[in-house]
Amino acid sequence: MKTKKLLWIISIIIIASFILAACAPAAEEPAAEEPAAEEPAEGETITVLFPKHEADFKNAFDARIREFEAETGITVNLIQGDWESVANRVIPELATGGSAFDVVEFDNGWVAEWCGAGWATSLNDYMEPGYTDDMIPGLVDLFTCPDGEVYGLVWNNDTRFFYYNADYLAEAGFDAPPATWDELIEQSLAAKEQGVVEYGHAPYWIQEWALANELHFYTYVFGGSLVDDQGCITMNTDPKTLAAVEFMIETLESGAYDPAGLTYNQVDAQDVFLKGSTLFNPQGIAGLLTYTEDPTISNVVGQVEIGLVPTTASGSSAALTLPEAYAIPVNSQHKEAAWKFIEYMTSKETNIKLAKEIGILPIWVDLFSEPELVSLYPFWADFQAQLPTARGLSVITWYNDFVDITNAELHKALSGRQTAQEALDNAAAQLSNFNCVP
Amino acid sequence: MKTIKKFFIDNEHVLGWAMSGPALIAILAIVLVPMIQSIGQSFQNLDLARPALNAFIGLENYANLLKDSRYTSSLVSTFRFSVISVIFELILGVSIAVVLNKKFVGRGFVRGLMILPWAMPSIVNAAMWKWIYNANFGALNALLSQLGIIEQYQIWLSDPFWATVLVILANVWKETPFTVLMVLSALQTIPEEVKEAARVDGSSAWNTFIKITIPLIAPTLMIVSILQFLWGFQTFELITVVTGGGPFSTTELVAIRIYQNTFRSLRFGYGSAMAYLTALILVIPLVIYARSTYKRMVNY
Repeated sequence: MKTKKLLWIISIIIIASFILAACAPAAEEPAAEEPAAEEPAEGETITVLFPKHEADFKNAFDARIREFEAETGITVNLIQGDWESVANRVIPELATGGSAFDVVEFDNGWVAEWCGAGWATSLNDYMEPGYTDDMIPGLVDLFTCPDGEVYGLVWNNDTRFFYYNADYLAEAGFDAPPATWDELIEQSLAAKEQGVVEYGHAPYWIQEWALANELHFYTYVFGGSLVDDQGCITMNTDPKTLAAVEFMIETLESGAYDPAGLTYNQVDAQDVFLKGSTLFNPQGIAGLLTYTEDPTISNVVGQVEIGLVPTTASGSSAALTLPEAYAIPVNSQHKEAAWKFIEYMTSKETNIKLAKEIGILPIWVDLFSEPELVSLYPFWADFQAQLPTARGLSVITWYNDFVDITNAELHKALSGRQTAQEALDNAAAQLSNFNCVP
Repeated sequence: MKTIKKFFIDNEHVLGWAMSGPALIAILAIVLVPMIQSIGQSFQNLDLARPALNAFIGLENYANLLKDSRYTSSLVSTFRFSVISVIFELILGVSIAVVLNKKFVGRGFVRGLMILPWAMPSIVNAAMWKWIYNANFGALNALLSQLGIIEQYQIWLSDPFWATVLVILANVWKETPFTVLMVLSALQTIPEEVKEAARVDGSSAWNTFIKITIPLIAPTLMIVSILQFLWGFQTFELITVVTGGGPFSTTELVAIRIYQNTFRSLRFGYGSAMAYLTALILVIPLVIYARSTYKRMVNY
C-alpha cells in the first residue's frame, strides 16, 4: 500500500513538473546579457528569418551570408520564404516572447506596433555613435521608435517606381510615358485598341496585404490621407482619398486596367508585365529591371524604362516606400552575434555587392553616386528624382486590423458591389474602436 | 532488479500506468493544458499588441462574436464549403473505390496514383490550382476555350459563385483519395459469400450495392464524412493561396478569421473565443449525426 502511495506521489510530481515547465512563459526567460559582457563565440549559431528578396535569382543574399560565416566563424541557420509566410512566423513568435530567432524581418508596417510592445532590441546598444549618419535618413527614421532608439536596419530599400514598356508605347504612337493619370488611361486604351497590349496595367488587387499598399499609393498620389498623425481615421472624410479610390475603380471600369488584377498578387501582376501583355507597372519593385533583362522569364528584354509616377490634375505625385529591416528580438540569446550579422549584411561593401549582382537599392547615400554602380545602373538618376515624393505606410499600432477591414471593403468596391464612399465609410465604421489610437 | 520486475508482474495496473505515463504526460502537456489555457483566454480581453487593456471580460468575446458579421459569414461559407465537399468526396470516393476493388491489369499502379493528390503538401496543391485558375494563362481557361465552351478567357476567381465552386473543386480533388482509401479497405472486409448469396437470390448488382455493400461500409462512410467535414473547417492554405478569401471575403473560411484575429491582430482572447464557439457549433450536429447513424447501424 505504501509503495502504491509513493508511486502516486512520484507520478504526480513528475506530471506537475512537466506541466509547469510547459506553462512557463517564454517571456520570463533570462534577459540577454549586457552587450559589453558578450562576445560572439566562434562556432556560435544564430537563427535568421527574413523573406527571400524578389530579385534574388542568383542567391546573392545566401552567398553574402556564407561569406559572413567564413569571416566570423558564426554559423547562420537561415530560414527564408515569401513575405506572408515569414510574417506568419515572426509576429506570433515575438508576441509570445519567443527566443527562437536571433535576427528577424522587421517590416515598415509593424513599426508602431513593435515600438509600443517592446519586442525588438535597441541597436544603439551595439552601433558605434554616428553609425547611421551616412544612411538615407528616411530609412533610419522609419525604424526609430519614439524613444529615439533605432530598432531596425534596412536590408531591402524597397521603393516603388514607375516602369513602362517604351517599345510598346512607341508602337502605340506615344513618344513619352504619361505625365498624368488621365494620360495613362488614354495611352492604355489607345494601345489596347491598336492591339499592342491587352491592358495598360494588371494591378495586384487580390484581397491580401499588398492591396493596402496599393490603397496607400493611390491615396498619396491624389494627396489624400487614411489616418492623421494621431491615428484618427480620415479616409472617409478626405475628398482626395475618395478621389483616389474612385480613380482605382475607374481604371477597371474604363478597361485601362486588367480586371483579372482583382485576383492577382504582386508576382502575378509582374508576370503579366514581363510577358508583354501590359504597358505599365506603376508600382514596380526596384529589382524589376533585373527581371526584365532575364530572357528566361521576360519577353520584354531591353524594352522597359523608368519614368516618374504620373501626377494628378492638381499636380501631386507620390511613390511608395516599403523598406524592410533586420531586427533582433528582445529575447534573442545571441544578440552580439546577431548584431555582427546585421552589421555585415547592411555594410557598404555588402550593399555594393548586392547592388552589382541583383540591382537592389543601397541604403547608403554616397553609393548612389558610386561611379561603378552609376555606370551599371544609369536609371538610378530617375530613382533619385522620384525619391523626394516617397512615403511609407500609415504608422499605427492597429495596422493589421486596418489591412484586414479596409481590404475587404475596398475589394468589394473594386468589384463594383459598392461605391468608393460606401467602402470608405464601412471601413471607418468597422475601425471606429481604433479611431485616434496611434 | 528482480524485485522491480516482480513488483510490476504482481501489480499489472501499476505497470499499465508506468507504460502509458509518458504518453499521458505528453498529452497533458501539449493538448490538454493549452486547451484549458485557451478556454480561460476566451473569457479575457487578451490583446498582445495592447497589453494595457488586458482584463477578464466574461462572455463579452462570445457576445461580440455573434455581432461580428465577418465571422458569421465565414462560418456560413465554411459550412457550405465543407458540406458540398463532403458530398462530392463521398460520391466520387465510393465510386472510385468500387472500381479499384475490382481486379484489373495495373490496379496496383492506379491505386498508387490515386493517393498522389492526398499525399501532396497542401501548399503545393494550392499553388497548382492557383495557376490552373489564372485568368490570363491558366489551364482551365485554355481547356474550356479549346473545347469551345467559352469564347473568351474568364476571370473565374473574381466572381463569388465561381470562386466558391472552384475552391471546392480543388479541395475535392485533394481530399477524395482519403475517402477512396478508407472505403477501399472497408470494401475488402465484406465477405464474398454475402454478395454471392445475394446474387444466387437474384439480386441485381445495383440492388446488392445499395442493400448490402452500402450498409456494410456505413460505419466507414460515417467516420470519413465526419473527418472530412471537420477538415473542411480547418482549411487554410488553399483559400489563402488561391483567393486570399476574396472576392470581397466571400470565400473566407473560419480558420482564416481565427488566424487573422489571433496571430495577425494578436487578439488571443477574441481568437480563442472564436475557436471555441466554432467548435461548439460543430460538435452539436456531429454528435446528433453520429448517434443517429450509429443507432441505424445497430438496428441493421
